[in-house]
Amino acid sequence: MSPQLFPGFIGLSAAMFAIGAMGVLLRRNPLVVFMSIELMLNAANLVLVTYGRYTHTMDGQVFAIVVITVAACEVVVGLALITGVFRRGRRLDLDDLSELRQ
Amino acid sequence: MTIGTSFATVLSTLVLGLPLLGFLGISLAGSHLSRRIVRWLGPGVVLAAFVCVLVLLVATLTRPAADRSTTVVLWQWLQLGVPRWHGIAGTQGFNADFAVTIDPLALVMAIIITGVGGVIHVYSVGYMADDRGFNRFFAYMNLFVTSMLVLVLSANLIFLIIGWSMVAFASYALIAFWYQRPSAVAAGRKAYITQVIGDLALVLAAFLIFLNLRAPGGRLLHTVSLPAILADVGPGHHFSGGLGPLGGGLVTLVGLLLLVGAAAKSAQWPLHSWLPDAMEGPTPVSALIHAATMVTAGVYLVVRFHPIFQQAPVAAGVVAAIGLGTAVMAAVIGCTQHDIKRVIAYSTMSQIGLMIFSAGIGAYSAAIFQLFTHAFFKALLFLAAGNVIHALHDQQDLRTMGGLRRRLPLTYPAFLVGALALSGIPIFAGWFSKEELLANALALGPATPWLWVIGVSVNLLTSFYIFRVVWLTFHGAPRSTQAEAAHEAPPVMTVPVVVLAVCATLAGFLEIDFAGWHPVTAFSTLLQPVVGLVRAHASAGAGLAALLAGTLLSLTGIGVVALVYAWRVLPVDLVSRRLAWLYRLSLEKFYWDQIYEMGLARPVMALAHACSRVVEPRMFDGTVRGVRDAVAGLSQDFRTFQTGYLREYATVFFAFAVVGLLVLGLRLA
Repeated sequence: MSPQLFPGFIGLSAAMFAIGAMGVLLRRNPLVVFMSIELMLNAANLVLVTYGRYTHTMDGQVFAIVVITVAACEVVVGLALITGVFRRGRRLDLDDLSELRQ
Repeated sequence: MTIGTSFATVLSTLVLGLPLLGFLGISLAGSHLSRRIVRWLGPGVVLAAFVCVLVLLVATLTRPAADRSTTVVLWQWLQLGVPRWHGIAGTQGFNADFAVTIDPLALVMAIIITGVGGVIHVYSVGYMADDRGFNRFFAYMNLFVTSMLVLVLSANLIFLIIGWSMVAFASYALIAFWYQRPSAVAAGRKAYITQVIGDLALVLAAFLIFLNLRAPGGRLLHTVSLPAILADVGPGHHFSGGLGPLGGGLVTLVGLLLLVGAAAKSAQWPLHSWLPDAMEGPTPVSALIHAATMVTAGVYLVVRFHPIFQQAPVAAGVVAAIGLGTAVMAAVIGCTQHDIKRVIAYSTMSQIGLMIFSAGIGAYSAAIFQLFTHAFFKALLFLAAGNVIHALHDQQDLRTMGGLRRRLPLTYPAFLVGALALSGIPIFAGWFSKEELLANALALGPATPWLWVIGVSVNLLTSFYIFRVVWLTFHGAPRSTQAEAAHEAPPVMTVPVVVLAVCATLAGFLEIDFAGWHPVTAFSTLLQPVVGLVRAHASAGAGLAALLAGTLLSLTGIGVVALVYAWRVLPVDLVSRRLAWLYRLSLEKFYWDQIYEMGLARPVMALAHACSRVVEPRMFDGTVRGVRDAVAGLSQDFRTFQTGYLREYATVFFAFAVVGLLVLGLRLA
């Protein structure tokens, strides 16, 4: 991989992160919000791997694998929560959950 | 040293431990212990302790006179300071051991406590037989005996104060024994509050002694050991110069504080008003605590600390004045009361006043001798009065009695013996002790003839009020149906009364001391190692005249009773008509209860009410409410941030993240 391509990877990562962040902020379906979070995580993974290659070390890759593991755990918890909410209310709308503040 | 230490340790442990064992056993077993066992256990432990005291007395008497004080450490409680520092000026260890001193004074007190106490315990078996709280009663009584023994045997200021406070508690528990009666609970509370005033004074005196007492070399002692303290304030020792910055004033202050303690315990003016109310307790309690032992602890205290009073003539003078004043005042009050137990209670107050007076003028042996004989005849009077009350089904008012002479054939002569001994009629115990006391008053006091005149006039009042009780109770016609139906108590109650009557007749022969003629000196010789020997007498002629005058005045009192009540030569309402103010003063107990009510209780209650109305709601509740309201208001304000919309939280989070990154980037750049 030639060093000239690095700005492209970083730019792609930034774009993915921004798209993910917008998804988290704007979408109301929890499943979509969840996918957006995954997008943000993978944007971060891409940066880690890119800089790992850039510095010729394995640290970035190792870190990316840790992030993937944590993301898997997070998916388990998050999907369980979403399933629970769905069973209770039969609707999936994050704004409806605002009643939890009471 | 002195009598074998291990021997003394074992015996004193038994003396203290047996009543304690009785208390713990009866109170911990509670209702699981049957009355049949308690009936033997309660009096048994006290009588067993009495036997141990007698053995100790014999062992002590076999020693030479100068060697009759034994101190043994039963238990090492506190040991502070590093031993190797001993001997270096200014640094020394502090020891507070549970040690007992066995000396003649402590033994005389212990004999009264366990001997008279044991007899009263036996009597209680009959008196309390039908009471629901039978076991509780004996538990408290054994606790009282234990506490009193700790008080008189302790060789240590700390344990003396512990015993001093424990007897106050036992007294409280026994006065308020019939807790269903509001008046008994109030009387118990009054007694306890008064006792606490005395406790406080005693603790302050102990602190002053601890902080200021110096050894002969001028080194501060910092000791609580009684033998060490009393040796160092003794004659020939360095005390007045070594009293710290206050010098002679401090020893006077210590003496006055000890007097406050003694006055609270011994019901002396102005801390006297609890004793008549204490008659709410069962009669054996009145006999044991409020006649024979606890109320005489004040006399014991003054005599025990007599080296301090010898250094503080002002304090000793105040002691004598308060004692004499209380003796006269209580005797005047006793003449008009209607409750048989209250008359005897005022009589106790009056007699203890004489003892305190005697201790104040320096006649310590006479004071303790009066204490000794008084314990017998006053316990006798109370127990005999208990028989009367028992026979009349808890009726205590003299106006409902009368004509009990034939119905109570054993109680009547016993009460008569007690009355004769109290009045100071020859051959009965009170005569010997009171005449010795008055002879000392004539010879020792600062204003001798007048002190003697006041003291001897108490004789007249004493024999008047006690024979008034004798007449109203036992003579004349019955004035109520209960009095007509009265019957003698069972032997368990009459035998102790007879035993005490024998003692009250014979105890006086231990010491015969008439104006310089001393054929028998057993008692003063016994006490001599502790309190020294006082043999200051007026001339033989004056002494003999004083003796005759005192005895004649006692007989006059009886004569007045005969004239008023028996022969009706003088009208009964002579005083109440001619000297109405004096009669009212006596009947209303010199208005002390009203004075305390108006001067102390009302203002304190008013202050308490003011606090409960203003300080509590405004200050304490106000502060708490203010904090609560502030927190609630603040959280109301912050509540609006919490919308529940996840995307708003996320926006805020991202916004702060972006701002943080920008700041970081700018600083790196």
